Amino acid sequence: MAADPTGVLTGQHYLDGNHAACEGALAAGCRFASGYPITPSTEIVERIAARLPRMGGMFIQMEDEIAASITLQGAVWGGKKALTVTSGPGFSLMMEHIGLAAMTECPCVFIDVQRGGPSTGLPTLPGQGDMMQARWGSHGDYEIIALCPESPQECFDTTIEAFNLAEQWRVPVMVMMDECVGHMTERVIIPSADKLSVLDRRWTTKKPGEYRPFDVGADLVPDMAKAGDGHRLFVTGLTHDERGYPVMNHKAQEKLVRRLVDKIRLNADKIAHYEEDQIDGAEVVVISYGITARVAQRGVQIARDKGVKVGTMRLIVVWPFPETRIRELAQKTRAFVVPELNYGQMSLEVERVAAGKVPTVLVPHGGGEVHDPEVIAEAIIKAARSVS
Amino acid sequence: MASEEIVMAGFGGQGLLAIGKILAKAAMEDGREVTWMPSYGPEMRGGTCNCIVIIDDEPIGSPVVQKVRSAIVMNKQSIDKFEPTVLPNGLIVVNTSLIDRKVQRADLKSVYVPATEIAEKEGTSKAANIVMLGAYVGVTKIVKPETVEHAIEATFAGKRGSVGEVNLRAFRKGFDIGQQSAS
Repeated sequence: MAADPTGVLTGQHYLDGNHAACEGALAAGCRFASGYPITPSTEIVERIAARLPRMGGMFIQMEDEIAASITLQGAVWGGKKALTVTSGPGFSLMMEHIGLAAMTECPCVFIDVQRGGPSTGLPTLPGQGDMMQARWGSHGDYEIIALCPESPQECFDTTIEAFNLAEQWRVPVMVMMDECVGHMTERVIIPSADKLSVLDRRWTTKKPGEYRPFDVGADLVPDMAKAGDGHRLFVTGLTHDERGYPVMNHKAQEKLVRRLVDKIRLNADKIAHYEEDQIDGAEVVVISYGITARVAQRGVQIARDKGVKVGTMRLIVVWPFPETRIRELAQKTRAFVVPELNYGQMSLEVERVAAGKVPTVLVPHGGGEVHDPEVIAEAIIKAARSVS
Repeated sequence: MASEEIVMAGFGGQGLLAIGKILAKAAMEDGREVTWMPSYGPEMRGGTCNCIVIIDDEPIGSPVVQKVRSAIVMNKQSIDKFEPTVLPNGLIVVNTSLIDRKVQRADLKSVYVPATEIAEKEGTSKAANIVMLGAYVGVTKIVKPETVEHAIEATFAGKRGSVGEVNLRAFRKGFDIGQQSAS
């Protein structure tokens, strides 16, 4: 369906990534946000706090990130689309409630504008060190979806995509930005509301007496009931059955948690979103995401100028990891090069899926700045030589 | 038109990020691709800060570059740090109100601007950054001066009194200095 025009600031804008992400959320129909402002994500909170009340929405500044990450889930169960925003240390505090959102299948969006870590680290400078935390940060076994934009325009686009994926699959969806993407300012085109595709909630069509909150169909995702329509609802972080009631045994665990995992894993190819360039005949494929994908373009160009056939794959949806495509690429190319602002996170996934067919070369950087493109180029050239 | 990569650097509070935003916004209104990328510390004022603006006709790859074609430097630390990063035959615009040394490289075009003194004469020393921007645009003509003036007006719209006017005058003074040194 088309977006609600109330939240769509149609036109050409000059926005930083943070402001663009805020506009993406509003265009997607987000009408509730909670947060505890933290650099380098503060601009999102500033803007959404000013914008939401003017369109009948609400922003609450909470006492901390633990509170912010549960408040938005209350709003979701009350019927709103909801967002919270944070950075590194705040993201750590949100982990418990990200697990709750996964367990209760609460469709909501978390934006993490990554900065240098661990701990307080480098508040004003970029990092990509939270990638594994986004996937595995809460306890227990579950699946989430995460996206990585590379520009202000894509901060707008992927935040809409995040809300749509959250509604479709009923998982917490993370938008994993970084300080560079959050603060860089560029042209952002916001289309008219009728040109935007926005998913509504999966409202049940069943009558109150027939509805069970966690019954599922073929796609393994349950429908939701509108608060106040008379459906009986029970939501708990305990292992539960289709009625939502706690059941404390291994059979209920197998049935529920297997489904929480399978609804994403079995649909990973549908959720996948990436961009490729010059893959055919590439000796080396560079796999990157976020700001590093922008920086890597220069490194790739330097290597191409020196005669290396380089292809690129840019991950937009990073979780679930695009296993099918990377397995195919491992048959076509001779090496993967993975630059990232950490000491090896997504590169571990590439290595796992490549399964020894081709080498995976990590180009690590601790964060605080972006890579020197020459360093990426050297890694590409070295990888090409070592396999030729 | 060729692509332009420019770094603007100085103390936090001097308005370097602001003039970068104004320049990029003006270039965008001229129909070009732009990116503005800030770098700063946790301090609101007094720390060093800089931003990189890239203007191009093609979509822009990395918003961060190691070498630049032009530099606007407003304090001593910044000229020391960024003079070596300017590409050969590049441009460096120096705020002589706070920098007491000359540019050491002979392969650069150097423009010296007593930005604070000029801004003070126009009404406020706070507009020193706009004088620097004017000088840079005067030399390079990278964007139309009218478009920059429009962006300045938009930036200061809603501020009290004659702040917008003062900044426009500061821009024009800087522009004249730049234009003279370009000829």
